[in-house]
Amino acid sequence: MRELTYVEALRECMSQEMRENENVFILGEDIGVYGGAFGVTRGMIEEFGPERVRNTPISEAGITGSAIGSALTGMQPIVELQFSDFITIAMDQLANQAAKLRYMYGGKGNVPMVLRTPAGSGTGAAAQHSQSLEAWVAHIPGLKVVQPSTAYDAKGLLKAAIDDPNPVIFYEHKLLYKTSSEDVPEKMYSLPLGQADIKREGTEVTIVATSVMVHRALEAAEVLAEEGISVEVIDPRSIVPLDEETIVQSVIKTNRVIIAHEAVKRGGYGGEIASMITESEAFDFLDAPVKRLGASPVPVPYNPELEKAMTPQTEDLVQACRESLQRA
Amino acid sequence: MLTSVELLPEKSKDDLIGLLKEMWTIRYFDEKVDEFFAKGMIHGTTHLCVGQEPTATGPCAVIQEDDKITSTHRGHGHCIAKGADINRMMAELFGRSTGYCKGKGGSMHIADVEKGNLGANGIVGGGIPLAAGAALTAKMKNKDDVILSYFGDGAANEGSFHESLNLASIWDLPVVFICENNQYGMSGSVKEMVNIEDIAERASSYGIPGVIVDGNNLIEVMNETHKAVEHAREGKGPVLIEAKTYRWKGHSKSDARKYRTREEEQFWKEKDGIKRYRDLLIQEGLLTEEEAEKLRKEAKQDVEDAVTYAEKSPEPGLDTLLEDVYA
Amino acid sequence: MAKEIFMPKLSSTMETGTILQWMKKEGDPVEMGEPVFEVMSDKINIEVEAYEEGVLLKKYYDVDDVVPVNTIVGYIGEEEEEVPETAPEEPAPEETSQEEEPKEYADTVPATADANGQIRATPAARRVAKENGVLLSDMEGSGPKQRIHQQDVYDYVQAAGEKPKATPLARKRAEEQNLDLNTVEGSGPGSKIYAKDLTGSGQKTTGAEPGRIPVKGIRKIVADRMAESASTVPHVTLYSEVDMTEAIRLRSQLQDKIVEETGYKLSYTEIMMKAVAEALKRHPYLNASLSADQQEILLHKEINVGLAVATEQGLVVPVVPRAGEKGLTALVQASKQLAENARNQRLQPEQMQGGTFTISNLGMYAVDGFTPIINQPEAAILGVGQMKETPAEENGNVVFRPKTTFSLSFDHRIVDGAPAAAFLSDVKQLIEAPYELLM
Repeated sequence: MRELTYVEALRECMSQEMRENENVFILGEDIGVYGGAFGVTRGMIEEFGPERVRNTPISEAGITGSAIGSALTGMQPIVELQFSDFITIAMDQLANQAAKLRYMYGGKGNVPMVLRTPAGSGTGAAAQHSQSLEAWVAHIPGLKVVQPSTAYDAKGLLKAAIDDPNPVIFYEHKLLYKTSSEDVPEKMYSLPLGQADIKREGTEVTIVATSVMVHRALEAAEVLAEEGISVEVIDPRSIVPLDEETIVQSVIKTNRVIIAHEAVKRGGYGGEIASMITESEAFDFLDAPVKRLGASPVPVPYNPELEKAMTPQTEDLVQACRESLQRA
Repeated sequence: MLTSVELLPEKSKDDLIGLLKEMWTIRYFDEKVDEFFAKGMIHGTTHLCVGQEPTATGPCAVIQEDDKITSTHRGHGHCIAKGADINRMMAELFGRSTGYCKGKGGSMHIADVEKGNLGANGIVGGGIPLAAGAALTAKMKNKDDVILSYFGDGAANEGSFHESLNLASIWDLPVVFICENNQYGMSGSVKEMVNIEDIAERASSYGIPGVIVDGNNLIEVMNETHKAVEHAREGKGPVLIEAKTYRWKGHSKSDARKYRTREEEQFWKEKDGIKRYRDLLIQEGLLTEEEAEKLRKEAKQDVEDAVTYAEKSPEPGLDTLLEDVYA
Repeated sequence: MAKEIFMPKLSSTMETGTILQWMKKEGDPVEMGEPVFEVMSDKINIEVEAYEEGVLLKKYYDVDDVVPVNTIVGYIGEEEEEVPETAPEEPAPEETSQEEEPKEYADTVPATADANGQIRATPAARRVAKENGVLLSDMEGSGPKQRIHQQDVYDYVQAAGEKPKATPLARKRAEEQNLDLNTVEGSGPGSKIYAKDLTGSGQKTTGAEPGRIPVKGIRKIVADRMAESASTVPHVTLYSEVDMTEAIRLRSQLQDKIVEETGYKLSYTEIMMKAVAEALKRHPYLNASLSADQQEILLHKEINVGLAVATEQGLVVPVVPRAGEKGLTALVQASKQLAENARNQRLQPEQMQGGTFTISNLGMYAVDGFTPIINQPEAAILGVGQMKETPAEENGNVVFRPKTTFSLSFDHRIVDGAPAAAFLSDVKQLIEAPYELLM
């Protein structure tokens, strides 16, 4: 199999899809000859031309709204929103239009669009370019929310997102763009939304981790394995829809669960997952408090040490597992 | 057909008489809704377009069936003009399962996507980017559809208006922006909220034509929209039309209209676009007084029939609550 | 000033206690730390010791009386001091009693319960407890703030052995009715006993039909081992009356120091254990066993003394390892913890193995001497009877001395009568002159 980076996997998915499907086009800021702020669309305008790789003015509401309008009338647009922080500007169009049109109209009209956007800290981009706001959109019925953690998942999930007849917010992570998977098939494939992936099997404690936290969870599991602690790592891959069953079954097996995301812990989606677990069949199997790890409730700081201190690191996950198992 | 005035789009006698009936239907529909709200027979809220009938009917009269519109919270007129069934509209206001939105949308969200009505919109300016997007579809699929985007003077101060006009301009999108300037955004007078005489002036900022029309003159509205639609259809890009008009009633059901005088309201009522058009058709000999009266009563009866239809329609089952969130 | 004796609150759920016996009569002298009466709570039996020295002036309740907690059951004071003729009706304020509640008792309260009697336990622990029909209040938690985890319940259930499955309600009812759940046939899955199953069984036990108690679990083990021992080992039992005067003195002198160091009180059992261990050093044939093929006598290097402990489930014998090398402090520590574990059914199997000699103390009952059955393969067992004031000769006068009868059963295959008698004499001497233990 081929090794491909996350960026390459995304680009390959879009390119392959656009070769097959005339309804798919990309619009966003600086996605033309510049290739997008993170190089995801590099080379695409050369292949597909400016009609289908549509460089836009800096008008997030307008770009998003026009994508919704085009989706409602038969296209399958992919919006590249340059930084996920800018979703605030596009929020009316996402929350009040894209998410609701179908329901408000009594089931008529679909909005088959994807809004791709890079989230996360770790690049020194500070408070307005580093947030993880997935919980905002996950709260809105009508939107789907995807967070791929690997190149392999990125390609398959993006394909599923493009094919989905609903608006999908597709959260990429800046720190993951250069990571690679060794096994990304060239042939197009789709990974269903709402199907979690057990990234590592274990028996004593479950970590439910999203996006970049999946990698830290796997590192933590490695450290803990040396101490004889068996950790299961579950990557939900999409938080809406959420594969509740896989998480619940894992917790029933391990009796302990840590939920880790990069977003601020307060009001983060981890709270939703934690509540789901305690409301589920798994409640009676919990042998330790459900523990959430998320960022401190502060704007993302610039200084690299402060930035790192804000978000859960591998050691925090290791410690949380030990505490859960009372082996701290 | 008409001799005293020039009408650019070709219309038969029946078409012209039909437009009069349509405007009466719009008026009686909203008068009826007003009555029901006053009596507490319909819940929620509503925004009535009584007095603005020509700006609803005129533009829709000059577009083709495949052309599309986006509408506003004050959208019953646009909806009727785009060919909606008033039975299903009234049923929607009653929250019934036979309504356009199966009782889930209500007054502010009536849509008929298949018929090209991309929906009324509860967010001021919310529909404008959607119109640009629909126009983008037309352009990318090489269809000659044109999109009419209705919005009010209030929306002209929203970012979505500016972003969409700019996008439509740089991409030459086939969209006609129709600003129904009814003088007030809720209570905010356009004179206080905008520091230029005409909203149409803003078109120049985006390098597109801006046109001002008398919103109470159906013929003028039709003529200017016709030109704009042709311009757009030919791939020359969008046009902004500002139609000066007036809403006779309050913003919504609970509005004492303290922000304006009764004299001002009277001034605008005397410009009633329906009466002007009726008089024109009689003067042109296309209609007698008796025929006009008969037509008016038919329109009124149609609305009564819509009420009967709505009242007889079933409530949506509670089991439909979770339906249609996702496709 | 006379001091009240209260019915102690021994657990957060205890509302009343039943008086099982009085160790003292009115007018008897009472030393600080001496057991005054024995009480049965909803969970445990415990000797209530005096916090004052003086004379037992008054006891208001008799054996089998059920007394609310914090009620004054009697008075200790100076001779002739005046105390109320009848029991004061109002229970004493809770605060006072809590202040005076000895640490030993506090430790017996399930630590998992908070001030409101709520039990801290994980959902998984609750589920497992429910599935096994055991009460969380009966166990201790290993987690933070004594939170009970799933494993704690598994451990408890394992320790409880073949304890019948029953719903918590059934267990509570059975306790109220003084009914052994082993006699009840459960109607639930896996013969789980429901409260409704108790009605029939209750009647059964009062009717003409004998109560039928399956011999299983600890009962079965005890039955098999005792039968085997009694039928294969030639038992001989020797009796000796031991004067406890010096032991009592020793105990009161060391009490404060030992409580300070261990948090536990020194009881006579540990003094006896110390004396036995010392005597065993001098008499290796009593610290011996017969090899499996009965061809050899094994003289054990370590002196590991077992303590027979009565539990709800039956007799268990936790072992204090290397008792011969331990001072009194260490013995107190070890034996109190074992006894606690035994009561809580938390004894680990290894804590009941490796014994070389056993002490069986029935001193809390009105028993003088008895013929203890040897805990095989050990060579001997020492039975301890009640302490009572016994007339004795002193300088030509008759005086009363606190005396206890020791009953030593030995395996005549391993040891003969004379050396066994010499051993018992040494034990007696060490108890009567305990300072020799320091040598």
